Amino acid sequence: MEHIRNHRSVYAYAALFLVLVFAVAMPVGLAWAEDAPAGAATEYRDIPGMGSRNLIWIVAQQHLLLAGFVLGVPIFAWVCEIVGVRTGDQRYDKLAKEFTKLLTSSYATTALFGGILLFLLIGLYPKLMNYLSDVFFPSFLVYCALFLLETATLYLYWYGWDSMQGSKKGLHLFLGFLLNVFAFFIMIVPNSWATFQASPVVIAEGSMWARAWAATWNPTWWPVNIHRLIANVVLGGYICGAYAGLKYLMAQNAEERVHYDWMGYVGNFIGVFGLLPLPFAGYWLMREIYQYNQQMGITLMGGFLSWLFILQAMLIGILFVGSNYYFWLGIMHRIPGSEARYRRPILAMLVILLVCLGVWMTPHSLVASLEEARKMGGTHHPLLGVFGVMSAKMTVSNLMILVTFMSFIMYWRAGKEETARWAKVAKAGQGVLLGIAVVVVVVLGVWGYFVPAITRINYFSTTQVLVVLFVLLTVTPLTGLLMKSARTTTEMVWGVMPGRAGYVLVLNAVMVILLMTLMGYARSSSRVHWHVYGVMQDTSQYAYSPALGYAAAIMALNTFLFCLLVAFIFWVASMGGEKKGGPTDTAHTKAKDAASPAVGSAPAASTGHQ
Amino acid sequence: MAGERSFIAILIKRLLLGGFAAVVLLILTRFVFHFPPVFQAMFVLYAGLGTVTFILLDAPAVSPFGGVKALVALVVFYAVLAGTFIAGANFLPQYDPMVEKGKIDKIVKPKLAATDKGKMDALLKRSVELNAQSQAIMKRLEALGGADKLKAAEGDKGGGGDAPKAAAGDLIGLGKEQYDLQECYNCHKIGGKGSVKKRGPTMDNIGNLMKPEEMKEKITNPRSWMAEGFEKEYNKKQMPDKYKELMTDQEIDVLVAYLASLKDASVETPKPIKK
Repeated sequence: MEHIRNHRSVYAYAALFLVLVFAVAMPVGLAWAEDAPAGAATEYRDIPGMGSRNLIWIVAQQHLLLAGFVLGVPIFAWVCEIVGVRTGDQRYDKLAKEFTKLLTSSYATTALFGGILLFLLIGLYPKLMNYLSDVFFPSFLVYCALFLLETATLYLYWYGWDSMQGSKKGLHLFLGFLLNVFAFFIMIVPNSWATFQASPVVIAEGSMWARAWAATWNPTWWPVNIHRLIANVVLGGYICGAYAGLKYLMAQNAEERVHYDWMGYVGNFIGVFGLLPLPFAGYWLMREIYQYNQQMGITLMGGFLSWLFILQAMLIGILFVGSNYYFWLGIMHRIPGSEARYRRPILAMLVILLVCLGVWMTPHSLVASLEEARKMGGTHHPLLGVFGVMSAKMTVSNLMILVTFMSFIMYWRAGKEETARWAKVAKAGQGVLLGIAVVVVVVLGVWGYFVPAITRINYFSTTQVLVVLFVLLTVTPLTGLLMKSARTTTEMVWGVMPGRAGYVLVLNAVMVILLMTLMGYARSSSRVHWHVYGVMQDTSQYAYSPALGYAAAIMALNTFLFCLLVAFIFWVASMGGEKKGGPTDTAHTKAKDAASPAVGSAPAASTGHQ
Repeated sequence: MAGERSFIAILIKRLLLGGFAAVVLLILTRFVFHFPPVFQAMFVLYAGLGTVTFILLDAPAVSPFGGVKALVALVVFYAVLAGTFIAGANFLPQYDPMVEKGKIDKIVKPKLAATDKGKMDALLKRSVELNAQSQAIMKRLEALGGADKLKAAEGDKGGGGDAPKAAAGDLIGLGKEQYDLQECYNCHKIGGKGSVKKRGPTMDNIGNLMKPEEMKEKITNPRSWMAEGFEKEYNKKQMPDKYKELMTDQEIDVLVAYLASLKDASVETPKPIKK
């Protein structure tokens, strides 16, 4: 019977495989060239019904999201491994290993989608690919070489995990470092192709290497590199959180709940810490776009794409509220006795976040009826219009970052009492620093209305960003020092979070993925009807930008498909683990009683915040 | 039971608080600030979001789902999120792709027509039209009496084609259109509108400073002229040299006609220097 069942499952998998192959091959097989006269090169091919652009959109987005995941996870894993080594807490090492295990299958899936994308681009957009190959061929070679190095390092890193423990741990950490270095270069090389399309530069005559280098070093290359690097960390963190959230919801026993509760916390923590500097990187990118081409900046922020940024504000706002809510839930449930103490500050922070969200979501110009416009005295409302400009948006985004940072600090300190002699001075100093930062951010934000745009962009906004970064970079290590010697007054209890904590973690991950798909649409649409802005026009039937509502439906589809792919990768990766004793095999906990919620020891609780 | 009772008390208290905030916001936005309805609704929604978040902080845990139920709950959860996202995107004012399509037609179609492919397409289209016309004429002639009359008809026609239509365009208007389409305003100001960052000179009085042929020379070869005070920009080759390839002669001519019409001496316009 067992034999027959095995055969049946083989047939089922074979049938599923064939269906998948058919689903992928059918539209490609149906592709035809747009009628080209004899002797003339084909410029475009189309997919009937679906449209070549939609197919490229979906495949490219899947590849990009997977790439973000594949590049984010090694950073996540390596940081966890370092924390594990530094603190001696084996949970971090096991968490790092659990996520590195995902890399082998996700790496292959990413490469698979990269290959599909390449073939589709060559087939559907030959004119563009011919041009890009002509400019970038040398970097294609570099990319291949980097792939070889990355693959070899990944194999060594993963398969050498157990054998490189103890005295060889340093070597393993070095391999993790190399893995991330190669991954970074793998990311920035294709970034140069995409950013060149948006901000091409005059390509000097010379060798093919000189031409490729000139095209690579275009104005938006580094802003996109940094933005994507941080975004990948955020994606890796939140996906780890979502995975932990799901596993927490499905946990069968207390031990699993403890482990996945803790894992969810770590994922959310890394996601939030990546999220905090992300708006700064986004701001830098927009600034470079404006400096490169004012029209492109206007198209994005003040033209037909401007409403997209209201949608972005909604997603970011919910992500901030979701991330903070998870911290607050942690305070209320993991630290007994904290409920009453922190409710008021939580309410105050929630109100600030919502007010900031309200300002961020206010557009500059309004689409109002004639009667409403008359009543307001124009399309710009005297009050709402004030909130619609960049000065207000920069101010509230900085305030939201500070509030989220406060939530984290509050969570870190909950249930502990500082014992250091300088604790009072340090706490007062932190309070003063935060207060000054808030005042500076608000004052510069208001002052920004009364100075020329160029002064605001170059000096005021930059100062706001630097002040907030300064707070983040000084308060965090100071609190870390304080917590090192702190006395635990209330033990942190893991595994007692309500089920909605798991859903919040899923919500955060979905918001991040939707945001990435939205920004992909923004970057592509900002080029309007150009393949390479100002150089090569898109003369296909899909040269126009789709409307926001239609685009949102494709984004939601892309997000869903990506979640399915990630679930598949997690499932495949978990197969090996189950044989050895299931997921709980790795679920090392410090639970004193497996049947009851685990109470984290003081070092474990404190290291959880580092 | 006691926990449930206390949560009900919390729920009522926070709902009242949230409801109060929503009503206050509605009154303020509607009657004091006269916000448009969409913002009145938004502010009420913010109050709702805050209330729900604050209530959920203390809500008791529900028993977890398992198996298929868990899967369904998750898919429903995603469907709600995606549905809200798509509805939100559709609720916002929609950009009309037809606007961009119109612009593309204006820019791309003449370029396409100028290529070999475009010329062949046009010839094919024309031959199909002529074929259809000749067939229609043949049918009509057959109905009238046959081939003799056809020859007579051909003789009458005298081999003349369609008379060229008079080009009655507003040259300056067409030039202004080219100025916008080529996005010259990115680097140049006219009437105070255009470039914020210093890239290229103001154009308001350029008609008094340059002859049309000099303007054409500058457009097709940016290295041929430099604006006074723009040495740095000139040396950095800020002005692209793509217009010779990108624009047809006719398009450059109408653009020059438009620029030549700019003669507002009250606006300081940098003096062109021949290089």
